[in-house]
Amino acid sequence: MLKRAHYQNRIELLQGTLDLLILQALQWGPQHGYGISQALRNHSADILQVDTGSLYPALHRLERQRWIRAEWKMSERNQRARVYQLTAAGRKQLLAERSRWEQISAAIAMILERPKESRT
Amino acid sequence: MKLPLWRRRQDAELDEELASHLRMAIADRIARGESPEAASQAARREMGNLPLIKEVTRDTWGWTTVEQILQDIRYACRRLRKSPGFSLVAITTLALGIGANTAMFSVINAVLLRPLPFPHSERLVAVTETDLRSATSIRSTSVSWPNFFDWRSRTHGVESLSAYRDADFTLTSGTRSLHLDGAVVSSEFFSTLGVQPVLGRGFRLEEERAGADVAVISDQLWRSEFDADPAVVGRDMRLNGRRFSVVGVMPPRFRFPVSVPAPLLWVTLAYDARTESPDDEPITKQRGAHFLRVIGRLRPETSLASVQSELDVIAAAIARDYPGDQARRGVRLRPQLETLVGDRRQPLLILFAAVGCVLLIACANLANLLLARGAGRHRELSVRAALGASRRRVVSQLLTESVVLSAAGTACGLALARWWLAALVRLSPVTLRGLDEASIDGAVLAFTVLVAAGSAVAFGMIPALQAARSNLAAGLQASMRASAGRSQQRIRAGLVIAETAIGVTLLVAAGLLLRNFNHLLHTSPGFDPQNVVTARFRLPDARYSYLKQVAFYDDLLPDIAKIPGIQAVAATAPLPLSGSRYSLSVELVGSTTPAADKPSASFGMVSPGYFHAMHVPFLRGRDFSLADNDGAPRVAVVNDSFARTFFAGQDPIGQRIRPGLSTTEKETPWREIVGVVADIKHGALTESDQPAFFVPYAQGLISPLYLIVRTAGEPAGQGVAEDIRRTLARKDPELALYDVKTLDAYLATSVASERFETLLLAMFAGLGLTLTAVGLYGVVAYGVAQRTREFGIRLALGARSGEVLGMVVRRGLALAGIGLAVGVVMAAFVARLLATALHGIDPLDPVTFGAVASVLLVVAMVASYVPARRATRVDPMLALRHE
Repeated sequence: MLKRAHYQNRIELLQGTLDLLILQALQWGPQHGYGISQALRNHSADILQVDTGSLYPALHRLERQRWIRAEWKMSERNQRARVYQLTAAGRKQLLAERSRWEQISAAIAMILERPKESRT
Repeated sequence: MKLPLWRRRQDAELDEELASHLRMAIADRIARGESPEAASQAARREMGNLPLIKEVTRDTWGWTTVEQILQDIRYACRRLRKSPGFSLVAITTLALGIGANTAMFSVINAVLLRPLPFPHSERLVAVTETDLRSATSIRSTSVSWPNFFDWRSRTHGVESLSAYRDADFTLTSGTRSLHLDGAVVSSEFFSTLGVQPVLGRGFRLEEERAGADVAVISDQLWRSEFDADPAVVGRDMRLNGRRFSVVGVMPPRFRFPVSVPAPLLWVTLAYDARTESPDDEPITKQRGAHFLRVIGRLRPETSLASVQSELDVIAAAIARDYPGDQARRGVRLRPQLETLVGDRRQPLLILFAAVGCVLLIACANLANLLLARGAGRHRELSVRAALGASRRRVVSQLLTESVVLSAAGTACGLALARWWLAALVRLSPVTLRGLDEASIDGAVLAFTVLVAAGSAVAFGMIPALQAARSNLAAGLQASMRASAGRSQQRIRAGLVIAETAIGVTLLVAAGLLLRNFNHLLHTSPGFDPQNVVTARFRLPDARYSYLKQVAFYDDLLPDIAKIPGIQAVAATAPLPLSGSRYSLSVELVGSTTPAADKPSASFGMVSPGYFHAMHVPFLRGRDFSLADNDGAPRVAVVNDSFARTFFAGQDPIGQRIRPGLSTTEKETPWREIVGVVADIKHGALTESDQPAFFVPYAQGLISPLYLIVRTAGEPAGQGVAEDIRRTLARKDPELALYDVKTLDAYLATSVASERFETLLLAMFAGLGLTLTAVGLYGVVAYGVAQRTREFGIRLALGARSGEVLGMVVRRGLALAGIGLAVGVVMAAFVARLLATALHGIDPLDPVTFGAVASVLLVVAMVASYVPARRATRVDPMLALRHE
């Protein structure tokens, strides 16, 4: 039970961000779950290692919200894999999440960069 | 946990998706140079706890609509299990209502809706002649052979047309004689019905000519008399003293004409074309001899109306050509099914409406029960609303509960219906076509499901909407009591009033029919039916000429009279209340009315001593004697109505009449009236007294006679029948005695339909009354439960228990009273619809209405008194603490 709580906490911590990252990864082209995790890892220079226990719930949630859609295809190594791709709604959602992310990070940056002496 | 099917598939896909992830991770590691074992281990470690991942992923799937419904159903079942008392009452109520409806619909389905068991039976029509003499009512009458021949040759709108009549035969094989019911038919009979023999062939046109003695036999006769011999075609059998050769065997379930008992063999009209002496005119040439029924098959492209107009023209031409026999006679076409169902249609529909009313009462009861429950669970619903359940979700959950109730009720109802249906079929008069094959088939099941769904909505909607409309948030306030709003009380009162009104209507209808039936049972048929055995046998025309037949009866009756224990013996045809009656037109001396407008009267041929044996009083004149034979002057006895109608103010004795009846005479003879007897009922107990006349059989024997044997005491049963059988066999061993029945049995059969309908309606009304009482009790009891606190305070403040009792009972009686008033008005309208079924009872019969009102008020009193007693026993302290 404890372990389960641990996973759920991780999901909640990452939720908004992970969604954005997945959508962004699929923007580059259709990809299966393993491919998405490898892509995120490679493109973040190994900093972001997405937990499998977070990735799949997120994928299935996004699918249920109809932002991505999945179908079974043969992978490059001739194996059956569930391949996800962005839907039109997903593309719109990606734009929205992106601009929200930019706002938030800009806001956080402003707060972090505020000089110390201005505090009264 | 067991997952539903679509979930299992989704689960398997997730398994595969994660497995492929793992495979790819391992493959990547191996590609980077790790050993397979190390790669596999590392990849698994990196992946984490697989079952846990799956579980968390599954959680994101959420609930589908179907799962929500399943959840609702599970929840509803749990709740119903928790209050077994409520569930038991609700499910029983529904089962009774739905069960009765299902059984009744099975009957409707079998009798009114199911097509006849012939291919394209919707194209089968019944053709009758009509009597146009009375302007007000066009009466259908039987058809004569010459008219049928004319129709057959001149009509183009039908594929084929066939005439038939019931006939009975004596089959002799070895020393054994057997009576068989069958039919005389025209050659295209089987092809018209669209059924061909399974062995051999049907009839050919040339086999209609006299002398062609061929027969088609039923499957049953084939098995019983021919040992299912596959080479039966061509074999002979001895019927009525002549040889008939078998040309075909019909399939097992073939049954037409639809008569009871079912026909066992068919012969062609050659049977009717035959005469004993060359001078006789065969009945196939007598245009005025109407005794046939005709069935036709329409061409696919023609309509009933077009063939009707075609036949109208033909009938008009026949009427012009034969003014003596055919003036003012028309022709009528009706769907065959309609003709077979006949006048039983309306009573069945009335019963169906009645059973629908029972279901309405049941639904009103359930709606009330659910409303009361809804009020009690206001808090629960409020909590659910507060936790985020949408209004729609709450309503759908409450409706689900109704549907679950309804489903449980339907399941029990179907079990009940099977039992009900068996009882219905057993109780019913066998003459209802198709009833013996009534069953709960697909159509009935579909009807039941529809009714169940309709009921669930009917009784579930009001409470569900009520619950949803009320302010759910308010329910959370601690002070909120389980109290019904004003509008809810109005709805509950309205429901009880409505069901009482429907119950009253049912009771009045049942009461009227009961009174009517009671009246029927006390209607004297004009003769004494007790301790009388009747039986028939047929003298084969081949061996018995007219005079020989008369002599046989003359000889037989005294011999039977010698059997010990027998008081009187007589013979007659037709037998009163046996279902057949003969009518003849009668000419009066000095009357100038044209032949076609002659009045007609019932007639019977009887033996001397018939009136004495039947205990029919003689009013004037004398009885027939053996001296009134073929050589003597022609005589007749008339009944009281005949004397009063045609000889008002004169002495009928010595007057002369000429009925259209002749046997050995050259021309139709005049007959002198020698006696007057009291009226007796010929067709039915419900008929009004009609003119009738009787002739001695020696002067007018035209059909086999019924033996009438009055015994000294009960039982007038099989012992006597055996004695008669032996006496008959001594005279002629080839004769078969059949239709051995008591006169009481004929009387009972003649009112069987009325008995059936009355009994059913009474049962439905009783059910309705019980449900109404339960409903009233429920509302009053709930009212008492709600006002426990108030009663406690009243009692504490010194109110006497009698006052509290009065308060509660008054409320119950007020509701019942309003329902009664509404119901009486409704019943007055319904009674008008029943008027045609009532004989000697006023539709607004004060006795019935009075009795129903008192029964209802007594029931209401009891239903209110029980909970009222509880109100007076409230402990004030407990009531005040009760919260």
